[in-house]
Order: sequence, then C-alpha cells, then structure tokens
Amino acid sequence: MAQFIADRRDVDFVLHDQFGVSNLSKHEKFAEFNKKTVDLIVNEARNLAIKEILPTRKIGDEVGVKFENGQITVPEEFKKAWEIYKEGEWLAMPEDLEYGGQGMPRLLSMAANDYFNGANYAFMMYPGLTHGAGKLVEEFGTEKQKKLFLKKMYTGEWTGTMLLTEAEAGSDVGLLTTSAKKNDDGTYSITGAKIFISSGEHDMSDNIIHPVLARIEDAPAGTKGISLFLVPKYRVNDDGSMGEFNDVVCTGIEEKLGIHGNSTCSLTLGGKGECIGTLLGEENKGMRAMFLMMNEARLLVGLQGFSCATSAYLYALNYARERIQGKNLLQMMDKDAPAVPIINHPDVRRMLITMKAYVEGMRSLLYYVAYLDDLIVVSDNDDEKERLHGLIDILIPIAKGYVTDRSFEVCSHAMQVYGGYGYIKEYPVEQLLRDCRITMIYEGTNGIQAMDLLGRKLGMKKGKLVMDLMVEIQKTITKAKGVAGLEEYAAKIEASVNKLGEVAMHLGKTAMSEKVLSAFAFASPFLEAAGDVILSWMLLWRAAAAAPQIEKKPKDASFYKGQVKSLEFFASSVIPISMGKMDAILNTNGAAVDIEDASFGG
Amino acid sequence: MEILVCVKRVPDTSENEIEVGSDGQDIDRDDLVYSVNEWDNYAVEEAIQIVDKVGGKVTVVTVGDDESEEVLRREMAMGANEGILLSDDAFESSDGKGIAAILKAAVEKGSYDLIMTGAQADAGAGQVGGMLAAMLDQPYASLVNSIEVIDDKKLKVGREIEGGNQEMNEIQMPCVLSIQTGINEPRYVGIRGIRKVASVDIPVLGASDLGIDSGSVGNAGASVKVQDYFVPVFGDGAEMLEGSTEEIIDKLIELLKAQGGLK
Ligand SMILES: Cc1cc2nc3c(=O)[nH]c(=O)nc-3n(C[C@H](O)[C@H](O)[C@H](O)COP(=O)(O)OP(=O)(O)OC[C@H]3O[C@@H](n4cnc5c(N)ncnc54)[C@H](O)[C@@H]3O)c2cc1C
Repeated sequence: MAQFIADRRDVDFVLHDQFGVSNLSKHEKFAEFNKKTVDLIVNEARNLAIKEILPTRKIGDEVGVKFENGQITVPEEFKKAWEIYKEGEWLAMPEDLEYGGQGMPRLLSMAANDYFNGANYAFMMYPGLTHGAGKLVEEFGTEKQKKLFLKKMYTGEWTGTMLLTEAEAGSDVGLLTTSAKKNDDGTYSITGAKIFISSGEHDMSDNIIHPVLARIEDAPAGTKGISLFLVPKYRVNDDGSMGEFNDVVCTGIEEKLGIHGNSTCSLTLGGKGECIGTLLGEENKGMRAMFLMMNEARLLVGLQGFSCATSAYLYALNYARERIQGKNLLQMMDKDAPAVPIINHPDVRRMLITMKAYVEGMRSLLYYVAYLDDLIVVSDNDDEKERLHGLIDILIPIAKGYVTDRSFEVCSHAMQVYGGYGYIKEYPVEQLLRDCRITMIYEGTNGIQAMDLLGRKLGMKKGKLVMDLMVEIQKTITKAKGVAGLEEYAAKIEASVNKLGEVAMHLGKTAMSEKVLSAFAFASPFLEAAGDVILSWMLLWRAAAAAPQIEKKPKDASFYKGQVKSLEFFASSVIPISMGKMDAILNTNGAAVDIEDASFGG
Repeated sequence: MEILVCVKRVPDTSENEIEVGSDGQDIDRDDLVYSVNEWDNYAVEEAIQIVDKVGGKVTVVTVGDDESEEVLRREMAMGANEGILLSDDAFESSDGKGIAAILKAAVEKGSYDLIMTGAQADAGAGQVGGMLAAMLDQPYASLVNSIEVIDDKKLKVGREIEGGNQEMNEIQMPCVLSIQTGINEPRYVGIRGIRKVASVDIPVLGASDLGIDSGSVGNAGASVKVQDYFVPVFGDGAEMLEGSTEEIIDKLIELLKAQGGLK
C-alpha cells in the first residue's frame, strides 16, 4: 500500500464482487458502463485524486482560506486541482447528460467520490455543494431557471451552496427569520443573515448560486411557512450572461477545528435592499424540497466522515508495520529479544482489526445506499421502486449518523496506533481526526439523525420500512448459512437482527406512551445498535462473497480471508456488546430524563 | 502526420509496494495494480499535441496480454485515435530485442512518419526504442525533451545532456524518438473521454498476423534472460554522516584524514 486514501482492492471488491456494478449496464440507461469503463473510471478518479487533490490536503489545512475586504481566497494550489477536476467533468457524474452530467450509476460515482473525498474532502465540499444545489434546480426549477443555471453548475463554472442556518435557527430551521417580499415582476427581494455557510464565498468561480430558505411575508410561522429561493451572487441576465452584484455580502468566516480549506461564511442578504431571488418550487413548500434532497446530502456527509476513516486506517496500518517498539509478548523475558514492529502487539492488532471491520462495513453500506438508487432507475415496477425508496429512507440516518460516529472513532484509533506521533501535526492523522469531527454535526446533528430514525422512519408506512429492511438482511443470512465456515457468524447476526426487531417494537411503543421522553433518550443508542447490526449484515454479505473465492483465486486469498476475519471479529467481539446495548434500550431507564435540572450540578 | 506510440502496462508504484518474489525471478505480481508506463504517457501527450497542431492521427500500440488492452483504451480516452494490441502466447517473456522485433512487424503493417517510445519502462533497460530504430533502419534520438515540427520531412528535437544542458538536433522523418518525462504535462483523462472509447473494438494481432516466426521471439527467442532479482543486503562499514552540510563536510574531511585518504 503506497497511497493512503482507499484500498483499491476493497473498492473493486465492493463494486464487482458484492454489488456487481457492471450488471447495471444490461439496462439501456447504463449501457455504456460495462466493466472496462467502470475500471477506467475508477483508475482515473484515483489517478486525479492521488496526483492533484491529495497534495492539497495539508496545504488546505495549514494555509486555509483567507478573508480580506469581503473577499475570500482559497489556497492557490486548490485552483489547479479545481480546473482539472472540472475539465474531467467529475462534478455531476450521475446526472442527466442534457445538463452536463454523465449519466453514471450512483454506485460507480461513489467509488470515484471515495477517492476524491479521501484526498481532501474540505476541497471536495465546493463541488459537493454545487452538485446538491444543482440538484435542487433540476428537481424544482422552472425551465428558465434550469436553462440559466443548471449546466453552469453541473460543469462547475459556477458553484453552489445551501443557505439554511441562521444564528437562531440551527437544528430547528423553522425558526428562521430571513424574509422574502414579492416584487411586481414575480421575483422576490430577500433580506436576512445566514451563518455557517460552507463554500459561501471564494475565488474559484465567477458566480455563486445560493439556494436560500426564507419566509415570504405573512407566511405561516414554523416550517410550514418556509420557501426556497435561488439567489445568485451576481444576477443572471436572460441571455445567461452575468449582471449586477446581487447584494450577497460575506461578512466573515469562522475559525474552526478542521476543514480549514473550506470557507464557512456569514452572509448578509439584501443589506442594501438589493438582493433579488427567484422562487424555487412552490411557495411555502421549501422544507418539502429540502427533505427530498436531504437523503443525498446526508449520504455525502456520511462519505465525508468515512473518507477520513479509510485514510486514517491506511496510515495507521502502514505505521504499525514500520514502527519498531517493544518486544514480542512471547519473548518478553528474553533480554536479547529484538524490538518488533508494533503490528505484532495484540493490542495494536485489536485496534487495526476494529478499524478494518468498520471501514469495510461502512464502505459497503455507503455504496449500497447509492446502489439502491440505481436499482430504482433500472426497475420498471412501481411497488419495487417504492420499496427501494423505503430502504434508502431508513438507511440514511445510519449512513449519516452511525457512519460519522464510527468514522471519528476510527480516526481516534488511528491516532492511538501512532502513539504520541499521532497527536503531532507532522503526521497526518491528527488532521483527519479534526476534519472528521464536523460530519457528526452538520447536515442534521447525529442526535437529529437518531430522532429521525426513531420518530419518523420507524413508524413510516406502519413499520413497513423496517420490515422490508429485515427481509433484505434475512436474505443475506440465509445465503451465508449455506457458505462453509460462516454458519456460526450468520447465526449470531441472525440473533442480533431478531433482537433489533424486538427493540424497535419496544421503543416504538414506548415513544407512544407516557414514557415518550425516556424513549427519545434512547434514540441515539438505538441508532447505534441498529447501525451495529446493519454493519454486521454488510460484513456477512462481504464474507459470503469472499469465502468461496479463497480457494479459487489463490492470488487474492489473503484479501478474501481478511473478509472472513472481519466478520468473525465483528460477530464475535462487537455484536455481543450490541446485544448488551439492546438490553439497555429494552430497559429504557429514565435517569437521563428524570434527573432534575439542578441535579446536573455546575 | 501519422504517429505511432509504443506503450506498456506496468505495476503502478503509487499503489503497490514492489517486492521481489520468492523465486527471485521476478517481482511479486500477485494483487498488483497496473497502469500505463509513465514515460509512455508523456509520449502520447506529445503525439496528441503534434497532431492537434499539424493534423494526422495518433495510434497507440502495446505488446502484452489481454489485460494490456486497458492501457490502450486509457490512452485512447486521453486522445489517441486508434489502438493495436499485439498479443500472442509466443510473445511471452520476450527480451528487449524480441519486443522490438514484434513492434517492428507492427510498424511495417502501417505507414508512420514518427514513432515514439518512452525513454524507459519498469525494467529500466531503456533499450526498445533504439533497437526498434535500428531494425527499421530509421534515425533515432533518445531522451527527447522537446519536439518542434519543421515541415513534413523534418523535426527539431531537443535532448537533455550531461549537467542539465540542452542539445538541439534536426532529424529526418520517418524516425524513432524515445521520450523523456517532463517534455510536457500529460492531460488527465476525464469521463467524456472514457465514455467515447468504452465500446471501441481494439484489434489484436498475433504472431501469424504479423508474419513473425514464433521461435524468434518470446522465451524461445530471448538471448537475455533474468537470472535473479534481489535486494542487496546492507553491508558493514557504511556510515551515515548526519548534521548540517558544514558539519558533514567537517566530519568527512576528518574521516578522510584519519583513513589516510587526505594528507
Ligand atoms: C463548519 C460548518 C459548516 C456548516 N455548513 C452549513 C451550510 O453550508 N449550510 C447551512 O445551512 N448550515 C451549515 N452549518 C450549520 C449546521 O448545519 C448547524 O450547525 C447544525 O445543523 C446544528 O445547528 P446549531 O449549530 O444551531 O446547533 P443546535 O441546533 O443549537 O444544537 C445544539 C445541540 O442540541 C441538540 N438539539 C437541538 N435540537 C434538538 C432537538 N429538537 N432534539 C434533540 N436534540 C436537539 C443538537 O443535536 C445538538 O447536540 C455548518 C456548520 C458548521 C460548523
């Protein structure tokens, strides 16, 4: 392993052995994306990520973005990477060709994004947000809005953002006060102040297109009165050329723990009364539009967190092989015994296999959610499409909340493997740990993810989503039980799935009872337990794909054996703990809720 | 201008730790990730740039197995117009001369004004370009780091020589050039390029298509054979001097004096 982003063997395994990405090319929509094309795309994404984007990671951290006179500059090195990235047309991989996309399966775009984000996700937030903003225009824009904005956004000529947060409106967007006043020509004058806006201002593109949540005058309070507007930094004339400055002023940037390469801006809209926006979608339906886009945004944040974890694992693994320290435990008494690479120490191996199992399981989970989207595209059955949508809906809080929680832990393990050097800036893992941390907070904090799982997803369609998910998991269990050597692990995972079903029922019921607050105090533990079980499902799936190949492909035997070991470790050493977590949830102890505020002390 | 660029599929050093296999006959090729030889990539870029300026066509050719097709497709995604795969069991384990002979046969099936190779590939021998030129009886310039088209008969080519100095030559076409890295900045391959070549058929030519006697190439025809690969063991008696340059110089002088090397 000479590069430190993602293990190519693992990326290929998930694409081909686990999900069979090239089977999608049997469908006319994806006909071009045969195995050869898939491999070329992964090769070239990797090539660009390693050669041009990875070198910007440390620079982005150390130089960071600079704010002067209302202008923000990104590190000079970002610009070259940005140009090449745009030229390669990587920004809107899965989108429609008509608007500058590439019509690629989402599963495949995940692999490319695995490399790009792993190389420097703070940099990748510029195109990432542009893609998301473009998606809003594509889904909700009028023909005119699409014509004026979409292609320029999907090709990266103009970048995009997402303006939700205000000082008084964070997790609860319903509290926002940015206002919109309808003008005679049908446009709206926007006034307000947004904070924490990623990529809100920078010098990598001529124009920045802001989708803005605001309240039209006299609209209802709360989320029901929120509308979505398209607000460019420079107005756009009907012929597509850029017009006057649109009174979107950056008043400052945040100094923060990580992702220094991305500008986190405070933006004042219409400070001079000259900020004009056009309605995107329908009046007062802004939140609905946001919800439709949220799955994709949350999956991306899951990938961001994960990209730190995969990279941190590879660095730690390499370090453990090279760092010589301490004798082999079996030769402790021999005063002449040589010091050995730390990978020989059982405690270091424990950390490595923990990281390995999580990284592999999380990669599979993230790719799987993207793959479900492709399955929707190739399905011609509406019930099936709806079922697949349901699976995505229920998996998103896991793919965001659980994955970013675990990713941060993986970064922490990596730091531990490095010992003191891990804490030092000269080595890469401290940056990865810092960069990773925000993914647990933005795009809906992980607490909000847990509430989404318990409060919304669990009860959707009378619990059908959970049932469909259980059926999917059971398919893998049944298959794995037929694979020699996996029976025992499949049985352990089956027991945990059954218990998770019981816990879900219990918590769902408790949430409807007078113990509702206690139930929600267990929303996060529930997300965690559900995540453990789903991760074990992914590892079981992987092992079932790998085990039969151990004999068949001796050249790759160590990789395939490693898959079975990840499963063995997780089923034997993590799932029992998850069973305990589930016992605690079944108990639904009320201490957290019942304790008097004053008793917290302080 | 018709340009042929010879390319090779090699283990990617950014992805692999290269280790010598247990039998010492080769590197350990299990589980390696491959890509196009870096020097060849510069050659293809140069060819594309020339054709962009003066018109013509770029063909990429490789000698290899089925999997080598991927590097041809990759270079076509970059902008080469055609690819030819030279593949035959009889070609396996060819030495440099064998490879040059196979390429010569392919060259003679077309009509090329200019043939480019990378200055060297993974084996580091840097021999194929020169041998190919000799076999074709064409002029040859090695380690080329600049090319300018004078007219349809002549090129002006620069070569890097000792001490970073530059030599400029006029060379008659048809000719063979081996290309040095740094001659240009190879472009990256984008998705559009990949999609364009996704379903292009790449012709495969074997020994009989090329009129090659199987015994003259491959293992059978090889007169240079690798005997052993090994990583030299660290010997005794070496000492790394550490410190600032001045300190190192002082220590070195001291050592030389002490050992009688300086009086
Ligand atoms: C670097 C960075 C980049 C950002 N980028 C963007 C961006 O591009 N666009 C944008 O619009 N915003 C952005 N944000 C804002 C981000 O999405 C919010 O910070 C986040 O949603 C949390 O809101 P808050 O900070 O106001 O925290 P609060 O909402 O005050 O939350 C504080 C704590 O209370 C918990 N909490 C709050 N409400 C509830 C509840 N009802 N039930 C249970 N727990 C609750 C939260 O989980 C959290 O633990 C960014 C923030 C940062 C730091």
